[in-house]
Amino acid sequence: MRKRTLKRGLTGFWWFTLAFLYLPLAVVVLFSFNASNSAATFTGISLRWYGRLMGNEEILSAFSNSMILAITSSVIALGIGCLIGYGMYRHRHRKLGWLIVLIYLPIVLPDIVFGISEMAFFVQVHRLTGLLQPGLVTMIIAHVTFQIPFVALIVYSRFVGLDPTLFEAAKDLYATPIKRVVHFMLPTIKPALISAFFLSFTLSVDDFVISFFTAGPESATLPIYIWGAIKKGVSPEINAIATLMIGAVAIAAIISLVFSRRRQA
Amino acid sequence: MAYTGVTPSARSRGMVREARHLLFTVAPGATWIVIFLVLPSAYLMAVAFMSNGPYGLPEMPLSLESFRRLAGFGFLGWSPGNLYTLLRSLWQTLVSTGLVVIVAYPIAYYISTCRAKWRPIMLLLVVVPSWTNQVIRTFGWMNLLAPGTPLSNLAEGLGFIAPNMGLYPSNFAVTLGLVYNFLPFMVLPLYAAFEKLDTAQVEAAQDLFASPVRAFWHAVFPQTLPGLLAGIVLVAIPAFGMYVIPELLGGGKGMMLGNLVANQFAGGANWPLGAAGAILMLIATFIGLFAMRRIGKRLGGGEEVVI
Amino acid sequence: MNDTITAEAIESPGARPAGEATQGEVAREASSIEMRGLHKRFGRDTVALDGVDLTIEGGEFFTLLGPSGCGKTTLLRILAGLEEADDGRLAIGGKDITEVPPHKRSVNTVFQSYALFPHLSVRENLAFGLKMRGLPLEEREARVAKIAEFIKLGDLVDRRVDQLSGGQRQRIALARALVNEPDVLLLDEPLSALDAGLRSQLQVELLRVQKRLGMTFVFVTHDQQEAMVMSDRIAVLNGGVIQQVGPPREVYEHPVNAFVARFMGHDNLYPVTARQGGRLTTPLGELTAEDAGEGGLLLIRPETLDLLPGEVAGDNHLPAVVSERLYRGSHAEYRLEIGSSTLQATLNNRGRHLPEVGDRVTVSVAPEDLVTLSE
Repeated sequence: MRKRTLKRGLTGFWWFTLAFLYLPLAVVVLFSFNASNSAATFTGISLRWYGRLMGNEEILSAFSNSMILAITSSVIALGIGCLIGYGMYRHRHRKLGWLIVLIYLPIVLPDIVFGISEMAFFVQVHRLTGLLQPGLVTMIIAHVTFQIPFVALIVYSRFVGLDPTLFEAAKDLYATPIKRVVHFMLPTIKPALISAFFLSFTLSVDDFVISFFTAGPESATLPIYIWGAIKKGVSPEINAIATLMIGAVAIAAIISLVFSRRRQA
Repeated sequence: MAYTGVTPSARSRGMVREARHLLFTVAPGATWIVIFLVLPSAYLMAVAFMSNGPYGLPEMPLSLESFRRLAGFGFLGWSPGNLYTLLRSLWQTLVSTGLVVIVAYPIAYYISTCRAKWRPIMLLLVVVPSWTNQVIRTFGWMNLLAPGTPLSNLAEGLGFIAPNMGLYPSNFAVTLGLVYNFLPFMVLPLYAAFEKLDTAQVEAAQDLFASPVRAFWHAVFPQTLPGLLAGIVLVAIPAFGMYVIPELLGGGKGMMLGNLVANQFAGGANWPLGAAGAILMLIATFIGLFAMRRIGKRLGGGEEVVI
Repeated sequence: MNDTITAEAIESPGARPAGEATQGEVAREASSIEMRGLHKRFGRDTVALDGVDLTIEGGEFFTLLGPSGCGKTTLLRILAGLEEADDGRLAIGGKDITEVPPHKRSVNTVFQSYALFPHLSVRENLAFGLKMRGLPLEEREARVAKIAEFIKLGDLVDRRVDQLSGGQRQRIALARALVNEPDVLLLDEPLSALDAGLRSQLQVELLRVQKRLGMTFVFVTHDQQEAMVMSDRIAVLNGGVIQQVGPPREVYEHPVNAFVARFMGHDNLYPVTARQGGRLTTPLGELTAEDAGEGGLLLIRPETLDLLPGEVAGDNHLPAVVSERLYRGSHAEYRLEIGSSTLQATLNNRGRHLPEVGDRVTVSVAPEDLVTLSE
């Protein structure tokens, strides 16, 4: 009897928590279709805020900056992180404490400390050498820095999950070092590489604080633009861009669900 | 066949080859992190010990002025502002982490009791909101808590807030935002702990102890402790350094350490002061990590905290 | 240097007509293995191989036998090139390959875990070595088809690796190695993960394959029964040192020392306290051995003993009491007490009287069945 009450109470709590988790997003989506520009009352359905987005140069450039930043940084991080992940695996019997500390540093460092360190560093390097003017390049560098550990750890754990004699089987079956990489290692860790790329991409698009401190005047990304717009005073257009970004995440969520289903099957 | 006998170099040759391999794979990433993170952090720490120049940029000579300023000693004598900010950061971290545990614990347990085919979907539902940008999520709460919204009207009607004030900006809004933001980080490790739960032990405890509360305390809770600790690390450390949420939901009276630090850089006001604040944040981070490691080791879980 | 695969190696040994002795001789020559003074240490203190000298003839089914940690797997890995010896030389077919990397050796391995590539189909797994060697597609397909028929893989070839059972994986792993037609095939406890029935079935199959191909097989196992069933010759290793090399019968019946004897399953070992010609004094009593030798230990194999009811006087007769009997159908195993010593005996069940626990019996052993060996 008591058990059933507990279960019913938990079910109620679960739905309450889900409501708590989705309410703020739902409000953003709802008000993006609001006919009036009130943030408090919903007066009717309209697409006018979406129409305004299309003509907004700033938003379009922020969007393209976000994409360039996310894709470029993810590709670079994938290459570098993949190498480290393999190195960590191959030399896992050595004492690599210093490397582990280095790998975990970007993960444990608070965003804000990460961001201002990069900013202070880039500003000084620019003052001294004229290189690394704050802009997309500095943002890419900063993003790669926090993406590397995630790629490395994903690739590392994939390698650890493999039967170590597979590496020897490849050697034994006449594969030269280069052929081992092309015909054995890369195909074997392909799923890990794909998920590492998507995680890097998501981390990049998701990031605000580090981007904010490393951006230049011309390199605002969508989150930075939204931040600025919120600070200037809430405009219903923000609801529309935010809704589009939420939509992108929803699609990503569905894809990941389908993928995990297929892997189970 | 001519056997030459001894090849003393075979061993050392292998070692050289391995070392070169290690260098080739690890060096690019390690160098990247050293140049673009270790060096900048080291520079930031150095800045904390420099003097504040014009435009807020650091200058020689070295001084401890920034730490004095951080403690509240300014041109006009001591003021409690920075100390309040610091205490508020600690308080918000403590309260929000506690609340996150209270919400996440039953949720993680509930998911683990549901049918296996639903669990991945339920976990996904918990995690998906955190995939959207933090700024957008916080913006959603601004919309929900603004004056004139149903929630604000309700709070007003119950007499919690003054008329037309709205629930934001306020410390309450910041706490809410933090709980919202970090809930998934607690649910995931707790769920992993519940999933591994040794049910035989739980059943044995139900036989041994008369009350379900005692059975829980002796059989279930200790098994979930490693997950709980991992969750606390994942929540408390970033909460203490949070910038976006207090900036948007807190207003002037809801400022936390992250805002104090960021303002010294964003406004170009005082780099050394900001750097000193950053050092404080780093110390707190490493104390937190170290404490968790120690406690985790004592529990014998020995589980590495992996995100 | 054996950089390129020799013509003999590429030509299929299986396809070769049995009559052509000259070609067969060439192949034998090409696949003999010589090891001289191989040493290997791991870390500072662990000695895996401590000076191994061994010659394996071409076409031999050769087994490295020993307990875990004896160095047998290390030796196999050095043959494969997966491990480098600290010292010593290794040659296959008269060519020194000590420093040749594994992918340039005409040697293939069947791994204990089978090590089938999970990202490839069975067919792609089989063709992997041929593809890496740069053989054209048609030839790869022809060779895979031929080996699939030879090993009787049937429709397994079109499955995914994760759809295979343990025994099927084992056969695919064998085919994947054989398809390359190496000079030497190395097998690292390939049957240890299988259950007993499947295991003996695959032992027979493996032996059949080896005899038909005439290829040199080097087989690693810790199971002395398996070693005896399969091998032309066995090398028993302990502590990185070869204890004895010889055909199964020789190793079993004439072990050179106590370690080999115990490892081959012998328990009836007794110190020789005095000797006079062929007359040996042991805790069991006085016994005459035809070929007494110099060893300080007497080995009595349980299956050489006969049990006579009651007390029967005679040479090499020992009075005993039955303390335990395990009836196993085809035979019975006995534990006998002679004074303060115990003795194991095995009696074939040929419908004769089988003594029971508590019976007084006389143990009889022929002088030619007694062997002495060193400690």
